[in-house]
Amino acid sequence: MSNTNQPFSAKPPVVPNPESSHLTPDHEQHDSSQADWLDELEQKSKAKQQTFMNHIADRLQRPRIQEAPKHPFRGAPEIWQDFNWNEAEKIEKFTKHFTEVGGNVLRMQTLEEAGAFIAEQSRLLNAQYIVRQQLPETEALTLEARLPHVQISAWNSHTEEAWKARAAEADIGIVLADGAAAYTGTVMVTSSASQGRSVSLLPTVCIVLLPIERLQTRLGELLIPWDSKGRENLPAGIHFISGPSRSSDIENELTIGVHGPGIVYTLLIG
Amino acid sequence: MNPASSTRGTVKERADIALNDDFLRNAVRFTTDRLRSGKKVASTEHGNWEEWRERGRQIRLHTIAHLDYYLNLFVENARSNGVHVHFADNAVEATDIVMTIARQKEAQSVIKSKSMVSEEVHINQALELSGIEAIESDLGEYIIQLAGEGPSHIVIPAIHKNRYQIAELLSEDAGETLEPDTTILAGYVRRKLRQKFLEADIGMTGCNFAIAETGSMVLFENEGNARMVTTVPKTQITLMGMERIVPSWADLEVMATLLPRSATGQRLTMYMSGITGPKRTVDADGPEEMHIIIVDNGRSQQLGDPEFQELLNCIRCGACLNVCPVYRQIGGHSYGGTYSGPIGAVLTPALNKNVAEWDDIASASSLCGACYEACPVKIPLHDMLVSLRRRKVERGHGDKLEALGMRGFATLMANSKRFALAMRLGKIAQKPFVHNSGIHLKLGPLKGWNTYRVAPTLANHSFRDQWKELSAETAAQPKTIDPAVRQRMEQVLADRQHNKSTSRTGGESHE
Ligand code: SF4
Repeated sequence: MSNTNQPFSAKPPVVPNPESSHLTPDHEQHDSSQADWLDELEQKSKAKQQTFMNHIADRLQRPRIQEAPKHPFRGAPEIWQDFNWNEAEKIEKFTKHFTEVGGNVLRMQTLEEAGAFIAEQSRLLNAQYIVRQQLPETEALTLEARLPHVQISAWNSHTEEAWKARAAEADIGIVLADGAAAYTGTVMVTSSASQGRSVSLLPTVCIVLLPIERLQTRLGELLIPWDSKGRENLPAGIHFISGPSRSSDIENELTIGVHGPGIVYTLLIG
Repeated sequence: MNPASSTRGTVKERADIALNDDFLRNAVRFTTDRLRSGKKVASTEHGNWEEWRERGRQIRLHTIAHLDYYLNLFVENARSNGVHVHFADNAVEATDIVMTIARQKEAQSVIKSKSMVSEEVHINQALELSGIEAIESDLGEYIIQLAGEGPSHIVIPAIHKNRYQIAELLSEDAGETLEPDTTILAGYVRRKLRQKFLEADIGMTGCNFAIAETGSMVLFENEGNARMVTTVPKTQITLMGMERIVPSWADLEVMATLLPRSATGQRLTMYMSGITGPKRTVDADGPEEMHIIIVDNGRSQQLGDPEFQELLNCIRCGACLNVCPVYRQIGGHSYGGTYSGPIGAVLTPALNKNVAEWDDIASASSLCGACYEACPVKIPLHDMLVSLRRRKVERGHGDKLEALGMRGFATLMANSKRFALAMRLGKIAQKPFVHNSGIHLKLGPLKGWNTYRVAPTLANHSFRDQWKELSAETAAQPKTIDPAVRQRMEQVLADRQHNKSTSRTGGESHE
């Protein structure tokens, strides 16, 4: 997928914490009172692992397999892997598919234009709280200047904040997509210190900024790169969003925004 | 959590979020109005469906044939990601592990998203017995949990309730009168459950797929509650069947193509989430501690069995339920296990390792082969049902069940009281739990695979006994279904039929 889908834009340093790597799982920070019982479970688990796997091999009536087996049918059928739309088709199909399930797609030339649009929507909808990912792209929307009366926060911009609660009360959340697939009408967002998963989940409205060069044809174009990225380089959360949160649980009537955002905008930038 | 978490208190303590309710209400109208006025969403026509099915089958066959390798790889990678992995041979062990974690966390509440395995091992019952609140967070599930009833429809668990009854229930819950308006009611549940999410000590999920090469777990859903469960609580517990593995993200594309189209006729569910380990140290959300419990519970018995090994290829889409004429007549609860429909008819006896007790179900199938046709990974369910019958005959268990009438379900589902009655007839093994406002009966698996529901053990009672008693009960009731309920059911079926036919007949073109 070359340079069209660089999942990570350059991020500002967020939490100055030289000791902890960006990728240190949080389990390493538990205090020792916790560690004992977790250790115990861990030992049990490791002891059981061998029996568990041996039992599987036994049932399959052969010795344990230790080497990676040949996997001739990996991934989608070959004919699918060469299937690509041109840019105009991708935009058309993405828009159609995202819109059909209740999402909204708008084309913008610049982040400046996107900022103006978001400000206008915020006024129309009478938004009081906005939370945005802490990224150069969302900063370039200059919402703080455009909406002086709205409380706008950049995710994780300081540590003394209950960020989940801030996102939960927000009317609008603004995120940057790491990629998108036209065939399913799906945007992909990933988590990091400056990109909380809550930002695309908890606010009532979710606005996704999608640089047009990140729009692909197939879902596989978003998935397959994670195979070669290396396990330790995967973000904790990789989320594929195809429209507003929905349910038909009351009288089979479609309701949106049950848990996640009820209004989703993708702003195609470029 | 970042180091400051200790000084600023937990989210729970700071959960006094200021929700802007009017904003939500308007937002919901905004989208639903637009959807209603627009033309009905047609399901995707996806080209070369047979080729995709075959590919899906090959990937599943390959993975299961090398399950020790791939599962072990997943375990090692998940551990490296910081996940605590556990193994459970059976339901008791799985429950023990959950309870150990819950005790250590001094958990008062567990918030759940759909998980078939958690139903299989009856985790809600175990939690509630220990005084820990178990909250289902699907909208429909929450409603029937409030009512202390069981689900009445495979797709819409609360379809036996109209909006006025739901408004009444939720008003009671809210302590104020809520108007019988879908938007208002769903808005109330959103707000209420949001509080529950922020307060919950533990989030519990199932697992649609687990990616061996990166140790990631993948969840498919539409409401966003599975994302909430994996984002908000400090501790996440995932219950995963040992066969849920796919080798790579590339293989996930095939599953992501087959599963939503077969389950709901969608191109993709609104959310698909790949979770790789707990939150990173610098992240401000996501679970601090993540547990994955890998459950056998009878699955390994299918390995090496030439007739039944392919059962483990199942991706839990529910397509076989939707096309099964028997299932549509009698509904899920009569199958008496966590898993219903044709797949349940085969899997339940398989998981219970007791074919003799369960094979009545196989007799109930009409063996028309529609389940095989619908199955996105081409599991030969009809052949398996024949094998089950053969094994039964070999053991000398004759049966006349085929002759039994299959009416009554429609009548039954129009009246929730009769449901409760039916379930009492099932002689539920556990005592009902008295909890807060009333009795919590988590009833039979009337929902399909793709929407997971709790089913208490009905194993003491054969399908035949249940059915006889049920028939006697319903015979005494007028054979009419509430017209409104019927209409809603028919609408659901029509929609699903429509989705199925358009999604499965795609020709060579891609659109
Ligand atoms: S057996 Fe049924 S639920 Fe399982 S994959 Fe096939 S159609 Fe779906």
